[in-house]
Amino acid sequence: MKYIIFKLLLVFAMLPVIAQTSVKGTVIDRITSEKLTEVTVVLEGSNLTTQTDAAGAFVLTQNVPVGDQILTISKNGYVTRRFPVVINEGRTLDLGEVTLDVDVETEQRLNGLISLSDNDLNGEDDGIGGLNVSGLLSAGRDTFLSAAAFDWSATFFRPRGLDNANGKVLINGIEMNKQFNGRPQWGNWGGLNDAQRNREFTPGLSANEYSFGGLGGTTNIIMRASQYRKGGRVSYAAANRSYQGRIMGSYSSGLRADGWAFTILASRRFGNEGFVEGTLYDANSIFAAVEKKINDKHSLNVTSFFTPNRRGRSTALTQEIFNLKGRQYNPFWGYQDGEKRNTRIREIEEPVFLLNHYWTVSDKTSINTNIGYQTGTIKNSRIDNNGTTLIESNGQQFFAGGARNPSPDYYQLLPSFFLQDANPTPGDFQNAFLAQQEFVNDGQFDWGRLYESNATLRSQGRNALYAVQNDVIEDSQLSANIILNTALTDHITINANVSYRNLSSENYAEISDLLGATGYLDIDSFTEAESGDASGDISTDNAQSDVRNPNRIVGEGDRYKYNYEIDADVVSGFAQAQFKYNKVDFYLGGTITQTNYQRNGLFENGNFQNVDGSVGSFGNSEKLDFSTGGVKAGFTYKITGRHLVDVNAGYYTNAPTIRNSFVNARQNNEIVEGLESEQIQSIDVSYIFRSPIVKGRLTGYYTGFEKGTDIGFYFTEDLGGLGDNGDAFVQEVLTNVDRRNMGIELGLEAQILPTLKLKASASVGQYTYTNNPNLYLRSDDFEGALRFGDGTTNLNDVHVAGGPEKAFQLGFEYRDPNFWNIGVTTNFFSNAYIDVSNLARSANFLTDSDGLPINDFDQGVARDLLKQQQFNDYFLVNIVGGKSWRVNDYFLGFFATINNVLDEEYVTGGFEQSRNATFRNVREDKARENGPVFGPRFFFGNGTTYYVNFYVRF
Amino acid sequence: MKTIKLIQLFTMLVALVVLSACVQDDDFSVPELNTGVNTIDGQLVAISSIASQAVQEGGPITFEGTNQYIEGYVISSDEAGNFFEEFIIQDSPENPTASIRVLVDVNPLFTSYEFGRKVFIKLDRLTAGDANGILTLSLLDTNNAAIKIPPSLQDEIIVRSTEVATIVPLEITISDFSESLENLYVRLVDMQFIKEEVVDASLTFAAEELDQFDGERTLLSCVTNQTAIFSTSTFADFKALSLPTGRGTIDGILTRNFFGDVFNIVVNDPSTIVFDQTDRCDPVEIDCGVASSAGATVLFEDFFETQNTNQPISGNGWTNFQQEGTQAWEAFSSTGQNASLGISARVGSFMSGDASTISWLITPQINLDAQGGETLQFMTSNSFSDGSTLELLFSSDWDGVPANIPSATWDAIPAGIIVDDADFFGDWIDSGIVDLSCIEGSGYIGFRYIGSGAADFDGTFELDEIQINAQ
Repeated sequence: MKYIIFKLLLVFAMLPVIAQTSVKGTVIDRITSEKLTEVTVVLEGSNLTTQTDAAGAFVLTQNVPVGDQILTISKNGYVTRRFPVVINEGRTLDLGEVTLDVDVETEQRLNGLISLSDNDLNGEDDGIGGLNVSGLLSAGRDTFLSAAAFDWSATFFRPRGLDNANGKVLINGIEMNKQFNGRPQWGNWGGLNDAQRNREFTPGLSANEYSFGGLGGTTNIIMRASQYRKGGRVSYAAANRSYQGRIMGSYSSGLRADGWAFTILASRRFGNEGFVEGTLYDANSIFAAVEKKINDKHSLNVTSFFTPNRRGRSTALTQEIFNLKGRQYNPFWGYQDGEKRNTRIREIEEPVFLLNHYWTVSDKTSINTNIGYQTGTIKNSRIDNNGTTLIESNGQQFFAGGARNPSPDYYQLLPSFFLQDANPTPGDFQNAFLAQQEFVNDGQFDWGRLYESNATLRSQGRNALYAVQNDVIEDSQLSANIILNTALTDHITINANVSYRNLSSENYAEISDLLGATGYLDIDSFTEAESGDASGDISTDNAQSDVRNPNRIVGEGDRYKYNYEIDADVVSGFAQAQFKYNKVDFYLGGTITQTNYQRNGLFENGNFQNVDGSVGSFGNSEKLDFSTGGVKAGFTYKITGRHLVDVNAGYYTNAPTIRNSFVNARQNNEIVEGLESEQIQSIDVSYIFRSPIVKGRLTGYYTGFEKGTDIGFYFTEDLGGLGDNGDAFVQEVLTNVDRRNMGIELGLEAQILPTLKLKASASVGQYTYTNNPNLYLRSDDFEGALRFGDGTTNLNDVHVAGGPEKAFQLGFEYRDPNFWNIGVTTNFFSNAYIDVSNLARSANFLTDSDGLPINDFDQGVARDLLKQQQFNDYFLVNIVGGKSWRVNDYFLGFFATINNVLDEEYVTGGFEQSRNATFRNVREDKARENGPVFGPRFFFGNGTTYYVNFYVRF
Repeated sequence: MKTIKLIQLFTMLVALVVLSACVQDDDFSVPELNTGVNTIDGQLVAISSIASQAVQEGGPITFEGTNQYIEGYVISSDEAGNFFEEFIIQDSPENPTASIRVLVDVNPLFTSYEFGRKVFIKLDRLTAGDANGILTLSLLDTNNAAIKIPPSLQDEIIVRSTEVATIVPLEITISDFSESLENLYVRLVDMQFIKEEVVDASLTFAAEELDQFDGERTLLSCVTNQTAIFSTSTFADFKALSLPTGRGTIDGILTRNFFGDVFNIVVNDPSTIVFDQTDRCDPVEIDCGVASSAGATVLFEDFFETQNTNQPISGNGWTNFQQEGTQAWEAFSSTGQNASLGISARVGSFMSGDASTISWLITPQINLDAQGGETLQFMTSNSFSDGSTLELLFSSDWDGVPANIPSATWDAIPAGIIVDDADFFGDWIDSGIVDLSCIEGSGYIGFRYIGSGAADFDGTFELDEIQINAQ
C-alpha cells in the first residue's frame, strides 16, 4: 500500500522543478498528523544527513548521489523507516508527507525492562555480576542489540560477556556510574520511564561526543526540559515480575514562546511481592526539569529527580532447596502481624540535581557545561544474630550470648544435613523427614522467635540477641564537566571533555530495629577470647568495634560495627577527532585520568588497632593515586551503500574501583597488595549489509583484560595448614587477573512485507581466564596474608561466570495498519557456567590441616571434582503485542508482554561455596548419596510472567 | 485554562499515587508475645518416677501414646556457651529431689528456656535413659544412640509455662556427691581452687594448651579438705578468664564428665562463683625441694615385709589411726597386674559404708636436728582412687596421742610425688628423694587418706618402701 503511494510520488518527482539534484519531504506522526521536528534523515552509504525543521520539513541538496538509494528516516521513539528511492540527476525528488509510527513496542518494552535491571540489582552482591542493559535500552534499531535487550536480558545474557561496569551511563552529559564499583545505580532513576525516552547510545568504544566511553557502550540519557515533546501522559501498568503495579503521570510544556520549558513526572511502583515470594516493591519517583532558552546562543537547564525506593530481596538457592520449595521460594521473609516481612530490604534514597548550560558559540561550535550533585543513602538490611551481654566476674569481663544463624534455609535444618553420613541410621532418616516436613510446610523466617528471645533476655536485664542491621552507604558526590564540540571543517569534528568529580562516602552499620530489646552491645562476638594476663582485659579489647569507645550499648539509629569514610577525587580529560568522507569515516580519541582514594576510619577496630608497624584502622589510610589513560581509533569503510565494514580498536587502563582497592574497608586501612590498574585492549570488526528488504550485521570481537583485581568475602571451614581450626571469615584478594572475551555476533532482519518483519540473532562467545591470578586471604582469625603454594589459583581456561555464552533468536513482528502489533520470539541459550570457588583451585585444595600435602590426593578424582559446571540449555518463548486508539485529542493504548510462555525452568547463574575447599572435604561432600550439605547455589529464572501497560496520551 | 486543567489532573494523579497501592510498611511494631501457658493437657508424672522406672527397667524407657508429661525448672543456661544443645530441669525450685537432662538440636536455648523457667515436656515419642551416666530425655535411634529433639518438634514437645521461679541452690558438701544429687543445682560453701592452679600458676577456665573439649580444674573444700573436679567447655565464652584466686561459695550443677565416670561441678557462667574472701585455706607447706641423693644413714625404714597380710599395719613405731570411718591401713600381698611389692600397705573405703573416711598412717617421731641431709623416699600406687585422696604431711606439734591427731598442725610436703588417679593402677610411683633437711626440730611424717563409702570416693591407695635417710 505504502509502496504504491511512493511509486506515485516518484512519478510526480520526475518533473523538474529546479535544476539541482535534491530530495525533500515533510515528516508527520501517522496518528496525530503532528509535524515532527528533529527527525534524522540519512541517505544510506553517503555522508548526507539532515534533520527536519520546526515544520517537519527536510531537504538534502549537496552532492546527492544519483541512482537507486535508500533513505532512512528515524526519530527516537518512532519506528525507523527505510525508503528505496530513485534519484535522478538535476531533479528534485519530493517525497511529500512521510508518516512515522510511534514505536509503541520499543517504548513500552523499555518500560518493562527497567524492572529487569532492578532485579539485577538484587543479585549484585550475591555473587553474580551486574547485567549490562544500560546501552541496550535504546537499542531499538539494531536487530542484535534489541534481541539482547528485550529477550535475552531476563536470563542475564551479557553482550560480549561484559559486566555492567563496562557500560557508561550519562545523564545530560554527566557520568552516573558509581565510583564504588563502577556500576550505574539504576534505582536512582527508576520509575522515570516517560522522562527517559531521549537516549543516545554509542556501542562499544566507537566515537561519541561526551566521553571516552566504555566497552559496553555509552548511553547519554537526555533529560533536558526543552527536549520533551509537548503533552501529557498517564499510564498504569500491571505485572507479576518485580512490581505488581505502576502508575505514572507526566507533562511537558515543550519549548514555549517565552523561552521556558518545563517537564514534571510522578510515579509510584508497588507490590507485596514479584515472581519471587516476599520481594516487596515500594518506590516513588518524582522528576522536574526547567529550562530557559535565554537567547539563540544560551540555554540553561535544571533537572532534578528523587526516586526513593524499597525492595525486598531474594537469594540464590541450592538444588536441594529448589527441589523442596521451587524457584519462587525466598528464605528471607517470614510472617509478622499476618504480613510477609522481608529481612533483607534494600532502600535507596539518592536525589540528583543537575545544572546544565548549553552554549552555541557558532553554528560550528558548542560548549556544554554541567554540574551535578547527588547525595543520599543506600541501606541494606539483614539480621544480626550475634548480640551479647557484658558479664563481670571476679573483676574480669566476658561476653555471653550469640545465636546460630536463624535463616530457615540454614544448612543444619535441611534433610541433607541429617543424611550426610555414609550409612544414615533410621533416626537420621526420621530427622531428615521431620526437617523436610518442616521446611516444606513452613520454611520461612520466624520473626516471632526473635522477638520472644529478645523479650526473654530483656526480662533478665540482658541486651539484644537479635537485631535488624542496616549497612549504610551515605554518598555525596559533586560532578562537573565541560564538553566541547566543534566542526573544524565539513569533514572534521573535534570533541573534548574535561571533568572532575569528588565523592565523599560514609559507610557504616546502624541498628534499624532492636526487635523489642533495649540495646545492643557493640562488640564482635566472633573475636576469639585470648588467654593470658590475669586482668582479662586483652580479650575484651580485641573484640571492640571501637576501642576508643568500648562496650558501648547502641540503640536504634546508632552507628555500630564499622564506620569509615572514603574520599575519592577523579580528574579526567578526553579529546577526539572525527573525520567523515565519502568512502570512509574514522576517528581517533584519547583520554587521561587521575584518580585518588583515601579511607578515613572513624572507629578503631579492636583487631586492627593503631599500633606501630600496622596500618591500623583509625584515621587516614595511605592515599592511593592512579594515573590511567588510553587511546582508541576506528573507521567505517563504505564498500558500497549496501556493504560496509566497521572497525573499532582501543587500548586503555582503568583505575581499580574503591571496592577492589581496600582489603576490608569495614575493618582497617589495609590496601590490596600488588594493586594495579586494569589494562584493556579491544578490537571489533563488523560487516554491515543493507538492502531494501534485508539488513544485517556480523561482528567479531576480541577483548583482553590484564592485571584485574577482585575481592570476595565468605566464610570457610576448610583452610589447610591452620591446624584443627580451619574456620575463618575471610577476604579473598585476587590480583593480576587476566581474562579474554571473544566471539561473534549476528543480527539479521528481513522486512518481507510492509507489515511483517522476520528477525534472527546469534551470539557465540567465549569468556575465559587466561592466566593463574594471584590469590591471598586476609582475616582477623589469622595473622598476615595467607597464601597457598606458589600464591596463585588455577583459573587459566576457566570460564568467567556471567550468563550464557551462546544465545540464538528467531522471531517475527507483525504491525497491522489498524494500529495493533504482535511479535513472537523463540530464544535458545547455552554454555552458561558456574562461578567457581577460587580457593578450591589454589594449592589449599591439596593442603592438609598440618600444612603438608594431602596424602590420598588423586589427580584424576580432583579433575572431576573441580570441573566447572555448565548449566543446562533452555528455550524461552516471548510474546509481545499492543494496540492503540485515538479518541478526539487523546491517544489510548495498551501494550503487553508475556515472557517465558512455556514456563521453562532454568538456571541463569550460580556459584560454588568455598566452605569446603580441600580435596577430601569436597570429595566427601560431593559424594554424599543424599546431596551435598554445601552444594552450589543457583539463581533460577522466572516462570511465565506478564506485563501489561495502559496509557493515555494528550 | 489548559494549565488549570493540567494542574487539576496532576493533583489528582498525585493523590491517586499517594492513596493507591499501599505496600506493607517496614514499621513493624513489637508483636504480642507468647509468654507461656499455665497448664497443659495430659497426665503429669514426676521426674523422680521416671528415674526410678528407668532403674527398674534396667534400660531406657520409651513413651508412646501415654499422654504423659513432666514439669520442671530450668537450671542450666547455654548463654555463655558452657552448655550446648541441652538443658537441665529439676523438679522444684527449692529442695529438689530429681532432675533430667533434655537434648534439643537448637541453639540457643536460653532465649526460650531461661534459668528458672518452668517447662512442661510431653513424653510421647521420647526416651528416658542413661547417657554418659546422666538421666537424659531424647529421641532414640535404633542403635540406641540418643537423637536430639529436632527443631521441628521443639515447640510440640516442650511447652513453656508462664512461671519463672527463683532457683534456690541446694547446699551440699563434696562428700555428699551421689547419684541422687546428680543434675541438681547445688551450692558448695567455703571452697577454693587448688593452689597449683591459681597460686603456683594462673590457669584459665578452659583455654590452656592441654584443654580438649573441657578444661578440668580442681576445687578444694576448706572444711573437709576434699577436692572435686570443676569442668568448663572449651567453647564457653568465659574460657579465657583466669580462675578466681579467692575462697567462697560456688553455685553450679553437679554433673558428670564426658565419660560419665567422675562427678563434675559445672557453672552456667562464672558469676555464680563468689570467691570474695582473700584468705585462702592452703595447707602450710614445708618444701625443702628434692635432694640429688639419699644419705647412707637410715633413720627409719619399713618395707612392710614383716607385717601380717590382711591385718592392720602395726609395730615399728607406726600410728594407724581412723579419724573418721572404719578403714584402717592394712598389709596385703598380691600378684598379677595389680601386684604389691612383696607385702605392702593399703587403705581404701570401697564397700565400707562410711559416710566419711579419714585414715592416718604416721611414722615414729624423727629428730631432724641430730644429723644433716635428711631425705624421705616411698612408693605409692592406686586402684581406682576416684575422688579419694592421699596426702603427705608433717607435724612438729603433735604430742603422740592418737586422739590429738586432728587438732595438731599438719603441714603439706609438696615435694613428695603421690600417685595420680590418671596413673595406671598397676604401676608403683616413686616419690622422688624428698629433702627434709630444712626442717628444724623433731616431728612426724603422716600419710592421710580421705574418702568415703560413696562410689565416687571409695578409691584405694597402696604404700610401700618408706625410707628416711641421713648423711
